[in-house]
Amino acid sequence: MTSVIPLTTVFPGLVWLMAALALVQVARRAALWRVGAAAPVAWLDGLAKLPRRYLVDVHHVVARDAYASRMHAVVAGGLLAASILTALAILPPLAGFRPYWFLVAAAFAVTAAGALLVGARRYPAKPKRLSAGRFQILPFLLVAYAVGGTATALLLALGGGGLFGSVALALAAAGGLGLAFEVRHGPMRHAAAGALHLVAHPRPGRFEGRPDTALQPLDLDAPRLGSEMPADFTWNRLLSYDACVSCGRCETACPAFAAGQPLNPKKLVQDLVAGLSPAEPPYAGNPYPGGRAGQGERGALARLIGPDARIHPDTLWSCTTCRACVEECPMMIEHVDAVVSLRRHQTLEQGALPEKAVVPVTELRQAGDPGGRPLASRTDFAAGVELPRIADRGGAEILLWLGEGAYDLRYGRSLRALVRLLREAQVDFAVLGPEERDTGDLARRLGDEATFQALARANIATLATHRFERIVTADPHALHALRNEYPALGGRYTVVHHTAFLLELIRAGRLNPGRLPDLAVTYHDPCYLARYNGETEAPRAVLDAIGVARSEMTRSGRRAMCCGGGGGAPVSDVPGERRIPDIRMAQAAETGAGIVAVACPSCTAMLEGVTDRKAEIRDVAELLLQAVEAGR
Amino acid sequence: MRIAVLLSAGLHPVSGAPVLPRIEAQAIRMGAGLGEVSDLFGLHAGPDAAAIAEALGQGLPRIEHVAVAAGDDPVPALAERLAACAPDIVLAGRRSQGGEESGLVPYALARTLSLPLVSDVVAAAAEDGALRLDQSLGRGALRRVRVQGPVVVTCHSDAPAPLAYAYGRARRGTVAALAAAAAAIPAPAVAVEERPYRRRPKVVKGAPTGGSAAERLKAATGESGAAASGRLLIQPDPEDAAREILAYLRQIGVLAAPAAPKT
Repeated sequence: MTSVIPLTTVFPGLVWLMAALALVQVARRAALWRVGAAAPVAWLDGLAKLPRRYLVDVHHVVARDAYASRMHAVVAGGLLAASILTALAILPPLAGFRPYWFLVAAAFAVTAAGALLVGARRYPAKPKRLSAGRFQILPFLLVAYAVGGTATALLLALGGGGLFGSVALALAAAGGLGLAFEVRHGPMRHAAAGALHLVAHPRPGRFEGRPDTALQPLDLDAPRLGSEMPADFTWNRLLSYDACVSCGRCETACPAFAAGQPLNPKKLVQDLVAGLSPAEPPYAGNPYPGGRAGQGERGALARLIGPDARIHPDTLWSCTTCRACVEECPMMIEHVDAVVSLRRHQTLEQGALPEKAVVPVTELRQAGDPGGRPLASRTDFAAGVELPRIADRGGAEILLWLGEGAYDLRYGRSLRALVRLLREAQVDFAVLGPEERDTGDLARRLGDEATFQALARANIATLATHRFERIVTADPHALHALRNEYPALGGRYTVVHHTAFLLELIRAGRLNPGRLPDLAVTYHDPCYLARYNGETEAPRAVLDAIGVARSEMTRSGRRAMCCGGGGGAPVSDVPGERRIPDIRMAQAAETGAGIVAVACPSCTAMLEGVTDRKAEIRDVAELLLQAVEAGR
Repeated sequence: MRIAVLLSAGLHPVSGAPVLPRIEAQAIRMGAGLGEVSDLFGLHAGPDAAAIAEALGQGLPRIEHVAVAAGDDPVPALAERLAACAPDIVLAGRRSQGGEESGLVPYALARTLSLPLVSDVVAAAAEDGALRLDQSLGRGALRRVRVQGPVVVTCHSDAPAPLAYAYGRARRGTVAALAAAAAAIPAPAVAVEERPYRRRPKVVKGAPTGGSAAERLKAATGESGAAASGRLLIQPDPEDAAREILAYLRQIGVLAAPAAPKT
């Protein structure tokens, strides 16, 4: 071979051949994505921002696992540099310049070092969260390409060749072409699909530094509602599932997986991939807890959800929509959007809500409250505390949104503390009273978009009749709906969480809390405040202002673990081996703190419901009230 | 099999919003679960069809609406339509919700159409051309009835819970407006007296004032009363049954004790 065409041409030619093969494999994948629905994509903007999204946003997530980060820097950087340098050697002046080949050899040597790092991660034993299967041959392909490339480049630099050159080139070709071939079904797909996914991401706002977490409203006049089969997803969502690298970071973060409920976010995404493409090789990671094997038809038009389909309904209803998987995903996949889209079809088209969720959702639709309770009794918790109605006052500076927690006896205590603090600080506030309906959060997470939109429109119409400057609420779920999801339906408000508002009052000197140094407190972040809205500092600042001894759980802030109370999971009540709040309280017990501070009615109810609890559950407002009373 | 489900314009007991009464949603589920249903439809007689459109989302593909002015008797209009389409089963709730709640419409219809009526049914199944109905007798007791249609069936609240409302189905379903009833017939005046509700203590006859909680509960739930002292015979021999009845009547003093044989 070398006698006919010089090695200096064949070697760069190999890289060009690899590129062509990879392109063919991507095109075969793209044919699958094209069955998806249309989606608006800002191509030029996305392309321009690709390097930043990769080097900043993706790196930020990958770097949580320092080994993975360094491994990628070396192997991906080396692979790209070596391949591009070799490809450029197709130009005769470079091909004939021997020092250039030293440079190429150096790049390949770096790749080889990276390939060894990849191998060391998977051999002799891989971490449990990683998938095996075709990922296990990746290190061999990388080593073959990198070592073969290094040897070939060195021979070219030193002017050698002959039989040894052929062997080295064959090794490089085997590894290189293998890598390019793997772009369709194998591990290298994450690189190609991942880059395209970063360009065509369905939530570009994520990269602009704002929490782009609101569910996108569903057009209720669309011919089909929600997603029943892969073809119902938009094409860039199908692309995003192909970007999954099966690293399993989502499954280690998933509360439902930890509780042994039949949900594994990685398997869910892989099921969406396998559902789209019947040729997908078998899944080689951890199964859904309970070990249900993949079954049912596959293909763009195959049903995805069902007791006999790819994904069991229990898997779908186990999700608490806590977004821990999305937060951990280095490929920026939006698992929760997929879950809600699938739920929308089940609920709106099939009426296939989980049995126990039917009553709350029906009451929500018919009575404006999931418990079917009179709206007027929402303020019953405040017996003995003066609670002005906005309709009587003709307006107020602050509208206090009470939320569903107001009906709960335990949470009434937190709300009474908040109301007394507002009185103490002489805040001009009022409540809607019987005019306040549920925000519809529960209905929306369970896929009942029609009920959510009806409730949202009713609430927006009510709010339009009153004069107020800001809404304060102690319920992060209500906060998220009012702040992030109502704007799409025409309701724009400034919504403040009560912890942020209380901090404001303390900083303005309107509340003068004493100090409670004897209390050991750990703060549990609500998902809908920390992950959905990025607010982790205000509640901590309030706790620091009252001088409690504050400690952090291992998982805190944006990476905190869910209490199990979101996404309608408590009403769906899919059985597991453990309970999510039990796991969370065990994590809280590790800190040794006697008090778990909470800032959400769902968290209060879930954590307070843990049996054999060693720590007390107190809302931040309750602790602050205690401090204010101590400071008098 | 053709099944008609009678629909009433209900009001939510708490919010007062117009809703499909839960029991009628249960009746729809019962009808849809009968298998081999060729035609399942809702039938409503009232001034406005919007009030019952919700039933489409519960699994009814279509609803027929006969316009009847508010305050008029819906029974003649319903009977006329049911006589015309002759369904095998007419399903209804026990009583409306938020209206007059007299619970008499199914009975009036059954009388007009000369159909048998099976009340308080919690489960229904088709069985070789006949219907197997489980009738609730209260306190969990059930009676199994086999009937050959056509029949009017009223649903009991212990029947399987309603299925979830599906917006997409409601969107696809149709409400057909039928010609208004020929003559307006005012609803028969029901002699009722309205007075404010007063909670009364439940009088429990012969309840022991002392004793353990279990004994008082037993007394309150009647398990020590007449019901508890009887004997339940299942498909007895007619002779045994007659002997048992006679013994009981003698025991409570209705019949004289048999004359002692002369010696």
